[in-house]
Amino acid sequence: MISGGCLGGTTLHSLTLAPSRCRSAFLLSPLKTLTQTLATNPHRHHPMLPLPSILRAFSSPALPTASLATLEGQVAAKPQWRAAIDFKWIRDNKDVVAANVKNRNSSADLELVLELYEKFLSLQKEVERLRAERNIVANKMKGKLEPSVRQALVEEGKSLKEGLVALEEDLVHLTDKLQQEAQCIPNTTHPDAPIGSEENSILRRMVGSPRDFGFAVKDHLQLGKELDLFDFDAAAEVSGSKFYYLKNEAVLLEMGLINWALAEVSKRGFTPLITPEIVRSSVVEKCGFQPRGQNTQVYSIEGSDQCLIGTAEIPVGGIHMDSILPESSLPLKYVAYSHCFRTEAGAAGTATRGLYRVHQFSKVEMFVFCRPEDSDRYHEELIGIEEDLFASLGLHFKTLDMATGDLGAPAYRKFDVEAWMPGLDRYGEISSASNCTDYQSRRLGIRYRPSPSDPSQASSKKGKGSTPTQFVHTLNATACAVPRMIVCLLENFQQEDGSVLIPEPLRPFMGGLHVIRPKSK
Amino acid sequence: MKGKLEPSVRQALVEEGKSLKEGLVALEEDLVHLTDKLQQEAQCIPNTTHPDAPIGSEENSILRRMVGSPRDFGFAVKDHLQLGKELDLFDFDAAAEVSGSKFYYLKNEAVLLEMGLINWALAEVSKRGFTPLITPEIVRSSVVEKCGFQPRGQNTQVYSIEGSDQCLIGTAEIPVGGIHMDSILPESSLPLKYVAYSHCFRTEAGAAGTATRGLYRVHQFSKVEMFVFCRPEDSDRYHEELIGIEEDLFASLGLHFKTLDMATGDLGAPAYRKFDVEAWMPGLDRYGEISSASNCTDYQSRRLGIRYRPSPSDPSQASSKKGKGSTPTQFVHTLNATACAVPRMIVCLLENFQQEDGSVLIPEPLRPFMGGLHVIRPKSK
Repeated sequence: MISGGCLGGTTLHSLTLAPSRCRSAFLLSPLKTLTQTLATNPHRHHPMLPLPSILRAFSSPALPTASLATLEGQVAAKPQWRAAIDFKWIRDNKDVVAANVKNRNSSADLELVLELYEKFLSLQKEVERLRAERNIVANKMKGKLEPSVRQALVEEGKSLKEGLVALEEDLVHLTDKLQQEAQCIPNTTHPDAPIGSEENSILRRMVGSPRDFGFAVKDHLQLGKELDLFDFDAAAEVSGSKFYYLKNEAVLLEMGLINWALAEVSKRGFTPLITPEIVRSSVVEKCGFQPRGQNTQVYSIEGSDQCLIGTAEIPVGGIHMDSILPESSLPLKYVAYSHCFRTEAGAAGTATRGLYRVHQFSKVEMFVFCRPEDSDRYHEELIGIEEDLFASLGLHFKTLDMATGDLGAPAYRKFDVEAWMPGLDRYGEISSASNCTDYQSRRLGIRYRPSPSDPSQASSKKGKGSTPTQFVHTLNATACAVPRMIVCLLENFQQEDGSVLIPEPLRPFMGGLHVIRPKSK
Repeated sequence: MKGKLEPSVRQALVEEGKSLKEGLVALEEDLVHLTDKLQQEAQCIPNTTHPDAPIGSEENSILRRMVGSPRDFGFAVKDHLQLGKELDLFDFDAAAEVSGSKFYYLKNEAVLLEMGLINWALAEVSKRGFTPLITPEIVRSSVVEKCGFQPRGQNTQVYSIEGSDQCLIGTAEIPVGGIHMDSILPESSLPLKYVAYSHCFRTEAGAAGTATRGLYRVHQFSKVEMFVFCRPEDSDRYHEELIGIEEDLFASLGLHFKTLDMATGDLGAPAYRKFDVEAWMPGLDRYGEISSASNCTDYQSRRLGIRYRPSPSDPSQASSKKGKGSTPTQFVHTLNATACAVPRMIVCLLENFQQEDGSVLIPEPLRPFMGGLHVIRPKSK
């Protein structure tokens, strides 16, 4: 299916949520055993820290910046934010979840999540019981009482309060731990997505066929050298390996591709955006990426909690974070242009020459916020747009329905497009379209308020609170990843005389340029 | 000690040699440390200054040229932030949540405006004989220093990458200057003229006050930069050429602006002479800098190690001593000039070309680069 096999590592889109994230953020040491009211599991240590007792609901907005407490040489960090996870659903569907975790080779610990959830429920009940008792005592103290009776009640109240404070602390820490473990659970999977590793991906569509050249084909690096289009050597000195300068017609090619992609997608009803390329690391995490893991793809800014984006998916997803959108505004469809930065740590092998794998590149990205019932449809629409774009340039490519082993944690379903690259003599990924359903929106806090279905409701209960909010679904898809498109265009449209033909749709965006010719020296 | 010697004579010589060697090692260490210190101090010395450059602080800068005059609107002018809000062109609030203050999203026609400005500037300068470039935006911090910036100073303008010796560029001047570092260029290749498009990142640490609203001062922006490597005797001439190109570009868009010959107090260490262009921004009710053209003579090239080999002046020399080493190399001169700093151009265009009905006219030269768009209109909701 995919010769070489080294393309699967890091896709242009969903990055596998590696297990280390879930373990590294927390280093909690068991400091005290539970108070006697939690005698149900005396053998389990619950981590506790001398932090003020604050009880938080699951769907609360992002927490303030982490505060650190040092205790017995261990440092623990409170999470900066919480995904709105539906624990009840996980518990009620644990077999489906377990199978999904397995199919995706995820290291999420479902058993632990279920165990922590049960503990959470009973601890919560216990806390409520104690609160109720304390209220009873407080109420009893309101009337006129004998001093000795009053004194006994005061003692009882005090003891209840101490117990409550301790339990509430336990509850906070248990909630943090439950949240941490549950956030490792990957998104559910579309029933039609093939199960297994990358080779099990299914061919959805094949467009065109490999061109029969009739002469010895050159790869894009050789073409670039002969046509004076790139400089990798100078960039290696100035910046490091996997950086490059584009020169001469390659500049026109990049600008042409960006302008063309923006124009083509805008006219299909997408709002054009240019986004920040520096974002807060919490936003990166909420989209399902790991800024701080080992072999992270993410560059961090020194002395700050900011990172460079690896894809415009991140700032576009973030544009509506912590918001409630009116149903009438959906779907929201954006086409965003940005530079993207990736460390490519851990990516080695032959598929790293030239423009195929670089640290910095331009990309035009499509992003959709929609109602849950519409996301499958928009996923088809997005892949359809991609296929139209690539076909219009005359590329030969195949669309794959990616198998569960290749889906990143956020993706419910993912379609990849691999284009024929004659210089590499194989197919190379040029695009990815993912339906993330509510995985990202539960982390970014993006909801919508459904319009009331019952007209009488609409007139009687106007305004907020009339219908409960739901999480939107989010989708993202590459309209154009410039360096790989340049590889495709140079390698596929090279001529025997060393020139390269520009596909017709790009010419108006390149000042009318028809062909890149070798320069006479 | 090479000949045959009496043992006692040899021994005396050995002692003398050893004592000399110890003294030498100590002195050589001293020399290394002294050289380091000398170098460190001397590198602080700023470039020489053009004899015509005015001396003094910024107010002593001299007006070289004034083009156009402030437009008489006849209605209440709005600033670019208000226009942007009404025309749904920017989002600063969402960017503050996602990234922090002084970040922004461009939306709708503002995207066309940015792409149009970049494409137009690249096209206009390319046709004047400059080689177009798109550059890395992450560079080694040593290259940043060699261009005359300070990545690690307090209140540095430079973002650094964690766990690496790399930084984000604040201007394409840096990767373009670096493209020929540690090189000897043949004289026949000069001048080398580049027009480079990049995103630029600046911390703006220490920049406070009213001139920080909206697009006027931001952490990330697009810029098209001109850069020239030339022979020393040509740099004054290319400085005039660069400022001439800038003035042509801005005049063609119908902007009202003034060109200033900057006073010594405002020259950065690398600049021998600097011309700034300040354009009229009616929403701010003052002139704002939209461009700068600097002649850095050999300040940057001495640090970046960029030399050229002059062609032999004596023809007999050419025939007798072919190849390397025939004429001693010299340092090139480098110049840099802003063709287009997108956010400030957007401020100028929106504020200067706003209409009473809230729409904004697009200057004619930009229209072909914006899909033919003539005017940005308020959207009906």
